[in-house]
Amino acid sequence: MALLSVRNLSHTYPNGYQALKNVSFDVQAGEFLVIIGLSGSGKSTLLRCVNRLIEPSSGAVVINEQDVTHIVGEPLRKHRASIGMIFQHFNLIGRHTVIQNVLYGALGETPTWKSVAGAFTQQQRERAQHNLTITGIPEKTNNRADSLSGGQQQRVAIARALMQQPQLLLADEPVASLDPATSHSVMRYLDRINKEMHTTVICNLHFLSLVREYATRVIALRAGELVFDGMPDAITEEWFKAIYGDDAVQVEIR
Amino acid sequence: MTAIFPRPEIVKLPKPPMRVRIPAFLIDACIGAYLYAAFVFIVIPEMVFGQGADPLTTNDYFWIVANALTIGTIGLVTRASLGLTLLTGKVPEGPHRNPLAIQAWMLLTITVWSGWIVTEISPIELLSGEGVKGAGRIFSALFTPEFAIVGEALAAMTETVFTAFMATIISVPIAFVISFAAARNVMATSPTGKTIYVLLRAVLNIMRSMEPIIWAIIFSVWVGIGPFAGMLALVVHTIASLSKQYSEQIEDVNNGPIEAISATGANRIQVLWFAIVPQCLIPFLSFTIYRWDINVRMATVIGIVGGGGIGYLLTQYQGLSKYHEVGTLIIIITLVVWILDVISARVRAALK
Repeated sequence: MALLSVRNLSHTYPNGYQALKNVSFDVQAGEFLVIIGLSGSGKSTLLRCVNRLIEPSSGAVVINEQDVTHIVGEPLRKHRASIGMIFQHFNLIGRHTVIQNVLYGALGETPTWKSVAGAFTQQQRERAQHNLTITGIPEKTNNRADSLSGGQQQRVAIARALMQQPQLLLADEPVASLDPATSHSVMRYLDRINKEMHTTVICNLHFLSLVREYATRVIALRAGELVFDGMPDAITEEWFKAIYGDDAVQVEIR
Repeated sequence: MTAIFPRPEIVKLPKPPMRVRIPAFLIDACIGAYLYAAFVFIVIPEMVFGQGADPLTTNDYFWIVANALTIGTIGLVTRASLGLTLLTGKVPEGPHRNPLAIQAWMLLTITVWSGWIVTEISPIELLSGEGVKGAGRIFSALFTPEFAIVGEALAAMTETVFTAFMATIISVPIAFVISFAAARNVMATSPTGKTIYVLLRAVLNIMRSMEPIIWAIIFSVWVGIGPFAGMLALVVHTIASLSKQYSEQIEDVNNGPIEAISATGANRIQVLWFAIVPQCLIPFLSFTIYRWDINVRMATVIGIVGGGGIGYLLTQYQGLSKYHEVGTLIIIITLVVWILDVISARVRAALK
C-alpha cells in the first residue's frame, strides 16, 4: 500500500497556465523522493497539490487510501497539519524569535484563542526546544529569526515542520538560495529525518549531484508532464538532455 | 505636442467589443457636453458680453445634449475617441491620432480659459495701491503679536493636539479590524469575501472623499460646538484613511509566510495573526504616527467650523478684527505643527 498516490493529476491556474498535465506516481512510506525539472516545469505546483495549498483542477491525491483532492475546512487543516513543508525562502516570521517560529508548527493542534494569546503548552515548548536540538541550533532559541544565516533559518524551518510530527515532509527547493557547503548540511538533516525518524521526504531539487547523493528515487517533470520515474543512477546523459533540453550542461555541487 | 507628453504606444486597434465602446461613447458624450457648455456659457458670455451667463433654458439643455450625442457618435463611428483611448490605454494608429490630439488640446484650453474666468483671477486687485495697503496693515499686525493671550492660546492648542490624538487612538483599533476586510488578498478567496471587499472599499472611498470639515459641521450640530465634535469628525476621516493605508500594506505582504503558516494546518485567523500581522505592525505604527501629525493640522482647520480648540479661538479673534491676537495664534500653531512634524518624521525614520 502506497503512502501517497497521485493519479492523473492536472492543474491549470486561473490565468490559464497549465502547470501539471496528467501526472501519476506512487510514493511508498520511507522513500526519499526527489523531483527534478526546469523552473516552471510544475514541481512546486505538484508539492502544493499534495498538501493542498492548491486545489488541483482534475485527478486525485490519495494519502493513506484517503482521497484528499477536494476536502475543505477542518479535514483540510488536519491534512495539512499531517504534512510538513519547507521552502526555498524559509518563510519564517522574521521579527519573531526562533522558538516562536518553531512553535507555529503546532498551530494546527492548538485552539485559535490559545495560539493568539501565545499560550502554547509546556509540552509543546519542550518539543520545540527538542526539535531545535535535532536540527543543531539549540542555542539560537531566543534570537530573532531574521538575525540568522540562511542555513540556520532553513534549520529553524525544518524544526517547525518537525513540530507537526509529519508522516510526510515536503521540501520545495530547500537549498536553492544557500551556498554549496550549507546546502549539504541542510540536505544531511533531511536525510537523517528520513532515515532515523522514518519520515517520507519529497524534495524538489536542481542539482543532480545532490540528487544522486540523497534520493532513493527520482521523478522528472518537463512542461508539467512526468517524463522520468526511476533510480537516481538511471539518469544518463540522454535522460538528462530529455529532461533539461539539449543545451543543458550538468553543474556539480560538492 | 509630443515634447510635452510622452508618446503613448501606437497600436492598430482591433474592433473593440461593445462593452468597451458603450462606456467610451458615454465618456465622449460627457466630454462633448462639457466642451460645449464651458465654451458657450462661460467663455462666450465673459468675452463677448463681459458678464456671467443667464440661467440655462430648455433650449440650452437641448443643445448640450445634441452636442454630447454628436461627439459621442463621431467617436463611436470613427474610433477617434478619447473615451476609447482612456479605457483601453492605447492610442490608435494613423488618421485617428490627430482628431484625438485636437480634442485633448481643446479640453485643456477650454478648461484653463473658463477656469480663469470662474475663479475671477484679477492681477489688478492683487497689485493695486488699495490692495497692497490692506496687506501691509494685516502683515504689520501679524508681526506685532499680542502676547497677553499666550496662556489662553496654549490652552486652546492643547485642546487641539489632544483632539487629534484621541481621534487617532480611537480610530486605530477600528481601522485595524476593517483593514483586513478591505484587503484583496485576504478577502478574494471566496465570492462573498470579494463582494464585502468591493462594498467596503466603496464605502471607505466615500467616507474619505467627504472632507473632515464637512463632518465637523454635521457633528457640531449633533453634539454641539466643541472639541468633541471636532474629534468625531476626525475619527470618521481617520478610520477611512487608516483603513485604506493599512489594507494596502496588508495587500503588499510577502506571500511566503502565509503559505508556510497555512501549511502547518493553521486556520484563517491564525494565518492572519501569525503570517500577516507581524509583517504589517511596523508600517501600521508609522502610518498611525503620521496620521496623528496630519490630524493636528486638520483639527486646527476643523476648529474654525465649530470643532473647538485653537481654530475656534482663531475665528473669534478674526471676527473681531483683532489681528495682533491672530498673529499670536498663528505663531503658536506654526510652532506646534512644526515641532510635531519633526518628531513624527524622526520617529518614523527610526521605525524603518
